[in-house]
Amino acid sequence: MMWRLWLRLQTLFRRERNVQRLDDEIQFHIDQQIAENCAAGMSPEEARYAAMRTFGNPTVLKEETRDTWGWTWPEQMAQDLRYGARALAKNPGFTMVAVLAVALGIGVNTGIFSVLNGVALKLLPVPRADEIVGVDQRFHGRVRRNVHGEPGLFSYSEYRDYRANNHVLSGLLAYAPFLEATLAGDSPQQLAGAETSCNFFAVLGERPALGRTFVEEDCRAPGASPVVVLGDELWRSRFGADPLIVGKSVSLNRAKFVVIGIAAPGFLGLDPWPSAFWAPITMQKALEPDTDLLSEDNTGWLALLGRMRPGATLAEVRADLGVIAARTDQQYPGRTTTLVVHRATFLGRPEERKAVFGIGALVLASVGLVLLIACANVANLLLARASTRQREIAIRLSIGGSRWRIIRQLLTESLLLAFLGGTLGSLVAFWSVEGVARLVLAHLPHGAPRLEWNVSPDLRVWGYALALTAFTGIVFGLAPALHASNQDLSTALKGDGGRFIGKAASGGVLRSALVGVQVAVCMMLLIAAGLLIRSLYLAQTGDPGFQMKGITQAQFNLPSQGYSAEKAQAFQSELISRVEGLPGVDGVEQAQVTPLSHEFLGTGLTPAGETESRQFEFNVVSPGFFAMLGMPVVRGRTFTAAEARSEAPVLLISESTARQLWPGQDAVRKTLSNGKGKEYQVVGVVKDSQVSHLGHSDGLFFYRPGGPAEQDQLQLLVHSKGGDTATANGIRAAARALDGNLMVDVTKLADNLEAWRTPSRIVAALSFVLGTLALLLASIGVHGVVSYGVSQRIREIGIRMTLGASGRDVMSLAVRQALRPVVIGALVGVIGCAAVSQVLSDALYGLGAHDPIAFIGVPLLLLGVALLASYIPARRASRVDPVTALRYE
Amino acid sequence: MGKPSDLVQRTLDVLIVKTIALEPKHGWAIAKRIPQISREVHQMQQGSLYPALHRLEQCGWVKAKWKEHRDRPGSQVLLIDCQRTRPGRTGSRELEPPFRRTQFGRVETT
Repeated sequence: MMWRLWLRLQTLFRRERNVQRLDDEIQFHIDQQIAENCAAGMSPEEARYAAMRTFGNPTVLKEETRDTWGWTWPEQMAQDLRYGARALAKNPGFTMVAVLAVALGIGVNTGIFSVLNGVALKLLPVPRADEIVGVDQRFHGRVRRNVHGEPGLFSYSEYRDYRANNHVLSGLLAYAPFLEATLAGDSPQQLAGAETSCNFFAVLGERPALGRTFVEEDCRAPGASPVVVLGDELWRSRFGADPLIVGKSVSLNRAKFVVIGIAAPGFLGLDPWPSAFWAPITMQKALEPDTDLLSEDNTGWLALLGRMRPGATLAEVRADLGVIAARTDQQYPGRTTTLVVHRATFLGRPEERKAVFGIGALVLASVGLVLLIACANVANLLLARASTRQREIAIRLSIGGSRWRIIRQLLTESLLLAFLGGTLGSLVAFWSVEGVARLVLAHLPHGAPRLEWNVSPDLRVWGYALALTAFTGIVFGLAPALHASNQDLSTALKGDGGRFIGKAASGGVLRSALVGVQVAVCMMLLIAAGLLIRSLYLAQTGDPGFQMKGITQAQFNLPSQGYSAEKAQAFQSELISRVEGLPGVDGVEQAQVTPLSHEFLGTGLTPAGETESRQFEFNVVSPGFFAMLGMPVVRGRTFTAAEARSEAPVLLISESTARQLWPGQDAVRKTLSNGKGKEYQVVGVVKDSQVSHLGHSDGLFFYRPGGPAEQDQLQLLVHSKGGDTATANGIRAAARALDGNLMVDVTKLADNLEAWRTPSRIVAALSFVLGTLALLLASIGVHGVVSYGVSQRIREIGIRMTLGASGRDVMSLAVRQALRPVVIGALVGVIGCAAVSQVLSDALYGLGAHDPIAFIGVPLLLLGVALLASYIPARRASRVDPVTALRYE
Repeated sequence: MGKPSDLVQRTLDVLIVKTIALEPKHGWAIAKRIPQISREVHQMQQGSLYPALHRLEQCGWVKAKWKEHRDRPGSQVLLIDCQRTRPGRTGSRELEPPFRRTQFGRVETT
């Protein structure tokens, strides 16, 4: 065994010497035979021929012998690679274009994938993360349940039940993922944090950088242990990395918490929005004084993550926890619960995953299309090159090269090309993607949560890039290789077959088909880009139907700071009177949600005379709200201050609501009931406007006056003639004078538009870049095919011109032939895009999915570019000098 | 160019092993000896001996070492010897049956 291994290794590593010895030996053999033949009386010449005859073809036999040494595969591969590298190096122009095209395609794909990977595929950044599972629940049947955050979350009693009674997890933790708190200080700071079960750090296996993390004692009783673990970043930015902070206390939402530890640097919690602090779950009431979630058994607010016991599988976990779920269901007749158990990642909850993967798939599909266009380009280049190598390949085939061997060699060459491009593209992508992601995240609109993603490439991204590269190489290499190796040898050897009149140049159909595909794909991308850019333009310039100029909004959360309704009322009236006194301010109004703030209030009301309740959106506002925003009351009147004070049951509705509920009738004095016996009367109808959703003003919508008991919920809208900055500073100062620890967010109302425009801006920018890339690649493709066609048929053109064709005729012939696949491809693209553009309709603002301008304008643009791309080589054809052309080659 | 059929290859293998059963030989000598021991039945191109030899070496039937040829000082030839362990020695006997001489002088399988 060892001996054989030794032999094999020797044949691999001492190959050169072995080859030399074999040559010597065979030479010796032949010499011996010649000597013997001479001795038998032949002339030297004759003796040599006879010896060769008895020996056979030495080259073939040597090759066969080397085959027996094994390692043929790597040897041939190395040969192919050497040959391929030489061929590529000999043609630097071709190589550069092809490598760049592939690099673009693969780079964009890899970059997008590494973002997706960082956002939703990487396991959590904790030790032995593959053991951590997330648990979500789904309810079916009769469900009545309160939800804080997302429907799949658990209540505190459910969590304790699962934790105590499961047999498959070595630990189960719970945390409330959506918590904000104000850290008191000279300048109060709004922080994202989490309320966690006290085994949180233990289950995750996270050790603190300083101090300690929670122990079970901290969670013994509600409100018993006001302790907090701070995040590393907060500790450094806010407390100057002071190690003596441990043991001191900080104030979060006005409750005192003792700092017991600092989390390890790099531990940012379990969501893409980093946590700045962690407090025990039992301190929930201290952090959110307006709710008491611990005692509510049927309110979902906790996300659950467990660490599996060694050897346990997801299916076992699902089955074991399912038993507990079934037991809980017995308390709620008619309800069944199913559990979703999955490996924990960022954005692991099923709804989030669906959204992320939906968007991810769409983006990957479109960058995949760009890659496809790039592939078609490279395939076309390879085809063109293969036909110049036709004779070489024909010779190799006719002296006994097998077809498979030639295909393999051509494929090796295209794979080499793909790997050059893929490596270049991936490296650029890896190098730039973190910067690009940071840039995009830094330009999110005001009010969006701060996100942090680790998009650095890991093994999965490398694997993806590698697989994509190999796939790409085969995709663009296979068709040309098959085509090149399958040819009529005699024609090919004669040299100029297939280049004559009436007969398309060899591979013409394939090339045209490739151009057609390119154009079709490019068309789809361009129309999508056109739709998105048009919708961006409309979004930027559209009139939301109300006035934003000169209005400043001041937003605060009074209930979380422990304000009662009475205290809130006093605060609000004092703040309003102070703000009214600011220079330039000529109006102060209140609203529960400010227009376009991405917060929505919804409720069900039943119009009089109907039995089913309808879902309305609504807002709670002060009487002067409509006048300030320039929303005319078209029928009836607005509320009076007296109605607001007395909490009278009156409503204003929007025009389209009136139209939908009471078509052709006067809506004023109609009534609606809330299902609990309270009747509201419509006192006025206000003009439709996009106060809630930009681009939409046709939902059911009503406005209700804000009474004294709701003062803790309301935000301020301030209109001023003077400078916005001065007003904003004045409002901040006034609020700080009243309550120094209240976080007040003062911004221009018009800033709310940004949040609506950003998604379409990102999408439009991305699709613009992709569309431009696609157009560029496709026009290179068209140009390449036409100029190749012209150069192949130069003799035919010469003959035509000699026989009297004018330059115009020749040009129109070339252009016509070039445009046929373009037009077919464009048609297919338009039809395909019309079929799928419905997918985009969510991202399209104020625009149908079949917007005629995009659907007519973009094809015209593309055809124009294609015409230009084919015109340049066609003009060259028309200027051919017939004499030169006939002598060509 | 097709591969030699399995039977022909096997036959050659057996002939080689028989040739070197008595004493180590080099390629040229084996090529001269094979026609004799197969009584001219086995017609082959001398060259095809080499792929066969190397194959046999790779699968352990024969052992080879480089030695200076006594007729040509300075040039190395491969001296082929029977593998002293299995299956070289016994191999030739085990593998003898697959061919026999027919009355028409062809080789057939049994």
